[in-house]
Amino acid sequence: MLENFSFRTIVEYLPLFGQGLVTTVWLSALSFLGALAVGIVLCAMNLQRGWLFRVPAKAYIDAVRATPLLAQLYFLYFGLPRLGLVLPELVVGILALSLNSGAYVAEIIRAGILSIARGQVEASVASGMTYVQRMRLVILPQAFKVTIPPLLGQAIVLVKDSALLSLISVAELTRAGQLLASDRFMPAEGFLTIAAFYLLLYYCLKGLAALSARWLGTAGARL
Amino acid sequence: MTSNPKGPASMTTTGMIDFRGVNKWFGPLNVLKDITLSVQPREVVVVCGPSGSGKSTLIRCINGLETIKDGDLIVDGQRLGDPATNMTRLRTEIGFVFQSFNLYPHKTALENVTLAPIHVRKIPRAEAEQAGRELLAKVGLADKVGAYPAQLSGGQQQRVAIARCLGMRPKIMLFDEPTSALDPEMISEVLDVMVAVAEEGMTMMVVTHEMGFARKVAQRVVFMDAGAIVESGTPDEFFSHPRTDRSRAFLSKILRH
Ligand SMILES: Nc1ncnc2c1ncn2[C@@H]1O[C@H](COP(=O)(O)OP(=O)(O)OP(=O)(O)O)[C@@H](O)[C@H]1O
Ligand SMILES: [Mg+2]
Repeated sequence: MLENFSFRTIVEYLPLFGQGLVTTVWLSALSFLGALAVGIVLCAMNLQRGWLFRVPAKAYIDAVRATPLLAQLYFLYFGLPRLGLVLPELVVGILALSLNSGAYVAEIIRAGILSIARGQVEASVASGMTYVQRMRLVILPQAFKVTIPPLLGQAIVLVKDSALLSLISVAELTRAGQLLASDRFMPAEGFLTIAAFYLLLYYCLKGLAALSARWLGTAGARL
Repeated sequence: MTSNPKGPASMTTTGMIDFRGVNKWFGPLNVLKDITLSVQPREVVVVCGPSGSGKSTLIRCINGLETIKDGDLIVDGQRLGDPATNMTRLRTEIGFVFQSFNLYPHKTALENVTLAPIHVRKIPRAEAEQAGRELLAKVGLADKVGAYPAQLSGGQQQRVAIARCLGMRPKIMLFDEPTSALDPEMISEVLDVMVAVAEEGMTMMVVTHEMGFARKVAQRVVFMDAGAIVESGTPDEFFSHPRTDRSRAFLSKILRH
């Protein structure tokens, strides 16, 4: 089998893979920023006492977690044009990933905030801080440290999920593999190569997680 | 038998803290039963009683950490629950020291002390830090200014917590069992600081079973049982001549320890 494995073709297609990799990286990065924004808003809604914001936020989070990402992606890809909103595939893709990951990010941030002991809330309330001051000065700085590792975990998931965008013909990494597979009938070469690139991205994010853990480790001694 | 500490006259004169027929429920549980109590400016009142008698709830109502169901609670001339009362503002006048310290773990001792003065009282940073250093020196922690809470012993953390309250220049200080989470050898360093604060004329309500502290600085000891104030008197009256069976039973228990 290995004698049939064509490294030459892989090298030939390397520029295409390179472009795909770059696209995957920046669309994942943008989607992750979008997910953070969505997550923060959802989490803020979810932490309200009144049901007016909390119930829709919870319903949204449940809906996203209960349905396949592919279904969500198609829902946007085929659904939005019906509503008269025609967007480029790339934008639909980033939107889908942001909206999907945002639900998970919201829960990660919420867990971080709730992990801050009640005594911290009481001490800051007792000192006369407003809700916003309390969040900004006491709760969020502590929650931030707790949430970084799971957030990086979510980023890893997001990078892998971005492969689905190949199905709406976004020219990202998996799409490059598909092209090689179908143009030259070399699925092994195509998909093994992209697997290697995903592994590379995975290690980059894991390295970042380790770095942040070390940074948190020293800061954690203060906790 | 409920005894009103100051007689009927206290109903008309307004104290720094005035409970008038206050009731509170947790679900079906009547945790504060018809509490009437007036604490005068500069007065130090010690609250004691068995576990679950409502001591914490009583003082937590004063700064609104708990809300009351009926009756009036007037603090520094403002009625709690009144729309005209700005609770956030009123809290800046009331220091609260917790059993478990509750220092901010991500802030140094000095930052713990200056955080609220800078952001809530809007005192310029340099001025707040100067005052913070002086306060930490006053509680005997001049050398721990840059230490994080995790690097401090329990007694040191509690002294920082007291300094943190004093940094707001409060009119009232509330203490909820400030020494009961401490190793015995650290209790006196915290009590000494509290005595110093009392001697400077602070209005204080202190939930504690430390009889030495009560005898030294308290004008009054209030004994609670099952949500009601059962007895109230000077430390000497209360510790030497308790009037009710319940207070006698309680005292015999804490004395045995
Ligand atoms: N948040 C709450 N919800 C329900 N019940 C509560 C709550 N907080 C306190 N209680 C109950 O109210 C009663 C009074 O509690 P409180 O903490 O005021 O007592 P305490 O005198 O401070 O006791 P301890 O000496 O153990 O601190 C107890 O029976 C307690 O179980
Ligand atoms: Mg208590």
